Amino acid sequence: MAMITIENLKYKYPGTDRLALDGISLSIEKGEFIGIIGQNGAGKSTLCQAMIGLVPQFYHGAYGGAVRVKERLAEQVPVQELCEDVGLIFQNPFNQLSGARDTVYGEVAYGLQNLGIEREEMKSRIERVLKQLDIWQYRDRNPFDLSGGQMQRVAIASILVMQPEVMILDEPTSQLDPEGTEEVFRVVDQLSRTGKTIIMVEQKLEKMAKYCDRLILMQDGKVVDFDTPEKIFARDDLNEMGIQPPAFVRISKQCGLSNQDGTYPVTLESTIALFEQQSDKENLTQKLKPEVKQTVQTQRTKELFQMEDISFSYQKHIPVLEHLNLSLDQRTTAIIGQNGAGKTTLVRLLKGLLKPVSGTVYFGGEDISKKTVAMLAGKVGYVFQNPDDQIFKYNVLDEVMFGPLNIGMTQEEAKEKVRKALEMMGLSGKEKENPYDLEMYERKMVAIASVVAMDTDVVILDEPTIAQDYPGKKRIGDMIASLAEKGKLVIAILHDMDFVAESFERVIVMAHGAILADGTSKEVFAQDTILKEARLQKPYMTQLMERFAGK
Amino acid sequence: MGKIFKTKLTTATIVLIPACIGINYLGKLFASLLKLPLWLDSIGTCIGACLGGPVIGAICGAANNLIYGLTTGDNITLIYAITSLGIGLVVGILARMGFMKTFPKSFVCALGGGLAAVCISTPLNILFWGGTTGNVWGDALFAATQASGMSVGLGSFLDEIVVDVPDKIITIIIVYLIVKGLPKKLTALYDVNAETERLD
Amino acid sequence: MKSISLYVEKGSWLNKLHPYTKLLYILTAIMIPLTGGKLWLFPVMIVSSLVLLLSGRIIKRALPLVGFSFTLIIVIFLIQGLFNHNNETVLFSIGWITFYKEGTLFATRIGCNILNMLLAFGVFVLTTSPQDLVDELEKSGFSPKFGYVINSVFQILPQMMATKDTITDAQRSRGMETEGNLLVRMKAFLPLISPVVMSSLINTRERAIALDVRGFGRKQKKTWLYDRPKCKWDPVARVILIGLMIITIVWRVL
Repeated sequence: MAMITIENLKYKYPGTDRLALDGISLSIEKGEFIGIIGQNGAGKSTLCQAMIGLVPQFYHGAYGGAVRVKERLAEQVPVQELCEDVGLIFQNPFNQLSGARDTVYGEVAYGLQNLGIEREEMKSRIERVLKQLDIWQYRDRNPFDLSGGQMQRVAIASILVMQPEVMILDEPTSQLDPEGTEEVFRVVDQLSRTGKTIIMVEQKLEKMAKYCDRLILMQDGKVVDFDTPEKIFARDDLNEMGIQPPAFVRISKQCGLSNQDGTYPVTLESTIALFEQQSDKENLTQKLKPEVKQTVQTQRTKELFQMEDISFSYQKHIPVLEHLNLSLDQRTTAIIGQNGAGKTTLVRLLKGLLKPVSGTVYFGGEDISKKTVAMLAGKVGYVFQNPDDQIFKYNVLDEVMFGPLNIGMTQEEAKEKVRKALEMMGLSGKEKENPYDLEMYERKMVAIASVVAMDTDVVILDEPTIAQDYPGKKRIGDMIASLAEKGKLVIAILHDMDFVAESFERVIVMAHGAILADGTSKEVFAQDTILKEARLQKPYMTQLMERFAGK
Repeated sequence: MGKIFKTKLTTATIVLIPACIGINYLGKLFASLLKLPLWLDSIGTCIGACLGGPVIGAICGAANNLIYGLTTGDNITLIYAITSLGIGLVVGILARMGFMKTFPKSFVCALGGGLAAVCISTPLNILFWGGTTGNVWGDALFAATQASGMSVGLGSFLDEIVVDVPDKIITIIIVYLIVKGLPKKLTALYDVNAETERLD
Repeated sequence: MKSISLYVEKGSWLNKLHPYTKLLYILTAIMIPLTGGKLWLFPVMIVSSLVLLLSGRIIKRALPLVGFSFTLIIVIFLIQGLFNHNNETVLFSIGWITFYKEGTLFATRIGCNILNMLLAFGVFVLTTSPQDLVDELEKSGFSPKFGYVINSVFQILPQMMATKDTITDAQRSRGMETEGNLLVRMKAFLPLISPVVMSSLINTRERAIALDVRGFGRKQKKTWLYDRPKCKWDPVARVILIGLMIITIVWRVL
């Protein structure tokens, strides 16, 4: 029996003209692990919300067709009742906490209380689920105090405990660090093995290829294809749809290797297996070249920042950084490490937002402790992680003009810089739009443009690639290269290792407030013990290369 | 009349209330951070009133004072929950009647809110503490009126006007600027008349 | 996460008392002096509140709560003592400033009332957890939707307040000044409050979705994880309080 059937589903959000979902028909069987992929704006989240009835019950708008979950019509059965059969988990772990309970135990119980489950049953379910997700030890802690990965597991637990047969996860790892991401995928895999029907939206295609039975490929509100990962990733038109196939597919294609049925291997293991079968291995390893962005080799040694013996702590006795020494020149620099390693603290010290407890930060030879943040704003730009923390104007143009005008540019100067910045970030033509009418990934571009337009010597980016799809990442990568060409220093904090390997000349690994490694991406990603200590994964290309080299 | 008070207690409007209380708190925090001579502590209530209507605005106002009392032990503020309720109610009614659509019209709303605050707070001030408000400027004025023999009622009324009306005018201007720019996607959620259309 | 509630769990008998009993105490404490009319009733109730606070071992925390009211009370004394319309009898003079008996008496009444209210309320606020209060209200039939509002504020508010620094930093990083003349400071207000409003509205939408998928608003009787252990003092306390109120009413009427 099909778990979910969708017939000719159409949907338009209130106040919009285009169809967010345009004639979708498909069915999902019990126990399947289905992935949904597609560019930002393709309709993936809308489809997820249609399967649980939020579309149309929560948003209203215009609706056509039918969605049935176990024969219940999603349009009519109230979401509060449909949640017995379908659960939804989405990107932001904070917003999924009800806020009505101050312990993890109570939080997980919340849904059960609403369902009217008896006390003994509640207690046994909660214990079972907390142990299953490995968060039993946090049961008395305030959920708001946990890490992103832990919070997301609490969110999963809160839904799982209601025992729905279908679990929908909408980009659950997008805001998590690599460890958090691993935790979530591990949990989801485990759930799938217990027979739950899982539907997951993600941009991390290598992982999707590994876990999913079938993939739904979406574009412009339509389902373009619905097939196994191998078949989907064998398509030639993926790039046009804004999707970059997994690293393994790209490598295999590059080497001219394919499976017998014409598809390409999509996981690490199957790629290795295919390569093992080849007789001409030597020749192949030659063909594999790491894809590093070719930046123009200008003189890159002008020293911009010097950190001497820096120590910092937010609270006494809990040091975050201790006796750190670092100097930064014009090479594009990526700082990687787990959450809590001290990366954000480090860049905030560079920006002057924090003052070190001891030690000095020099910018261009000057001690910056004498300057205010606003004074440095003209030289050092900082793009905060959450664009919603800075956007306040009602059209894109005014928003991006704010920074340049503040630091003293004239109207004409500012307008010109803004125009160029908007073009670089793919926002030309959107000047009059209200930033809040745009999606999150576009708002991130607006935030980046706001700082790029200030034409500072240094640009610091805090997690620029979160919530970005492949075209978005490419645009950010191009921007970084273009800024580097102009001699500007770009510093970024990132979790996306493949992006780091492709776009940055220098990689700094941090853990526990100290710098563990510092060099080119090739040098850094070869150091196994350090990566392990920092709890980081290698880029997929590197993993593949190492397997071939016979490690 | 019914249309003005129509309220949908959906999850979205319920969750709006703690957010509006949070906005009230943060308005006050930023005002004190920037050392502005205003309270600016009812921005959230007014936003709730504009988005969700008079009933939601009233609830936001009352809940705001209730929470404030519980978190600071200041039960004087609990008494003024009635004032906050009144502000939310009046602003909501005027907003539904269209007085937040343009800048000049929003002044009507501002005066309405200010007057509501003054008319409700003055009797409370007189009843509980003989007419003072606890604010330095207003009470100085009150002292002057009493020294010159003016009636308690009138003196207290003037005290309140000095304290509340400028604050409410600036508050509503800020609310107008904010609400004007909210995207349809967000405001549609609180639209009491929203229905789902069929496409086939 | 720093809690914004004043509640302190000391395991004292006050903590164990039912929230309703404590609310009843506030009612009694305020009502008795006001109905009874005699000025000495105020200090009686004030002392009783202080005794309760002492027995609950929270008197130290109660003092800051009343502290802020002193300026208000002093202002009231000044205004009433000097300018009250019923002032006739001179109490004392300093130079040409004259304090009158009627006004001062009036101010004393008001001051005592304020102190009384604050202390009685302090007994409740310092010993009752908001969640406990909401749970009991919901069990008595109070709508869970409103119960949610009260409960969630205590979690959501600290989160929102934590974003204040990030937003201030982000805007200052773009060159916005927060210090200077009045105009500069006023111009900074909108860039600071707008992101707060926007992100809280967006978060609100997501949170509403998260609640819906957990069955919020279902027309079903909620179940509870815990039952409040019965406190033996509750019935005794309630009888005493109600009794005192009745006695006061009767005494006043006679």
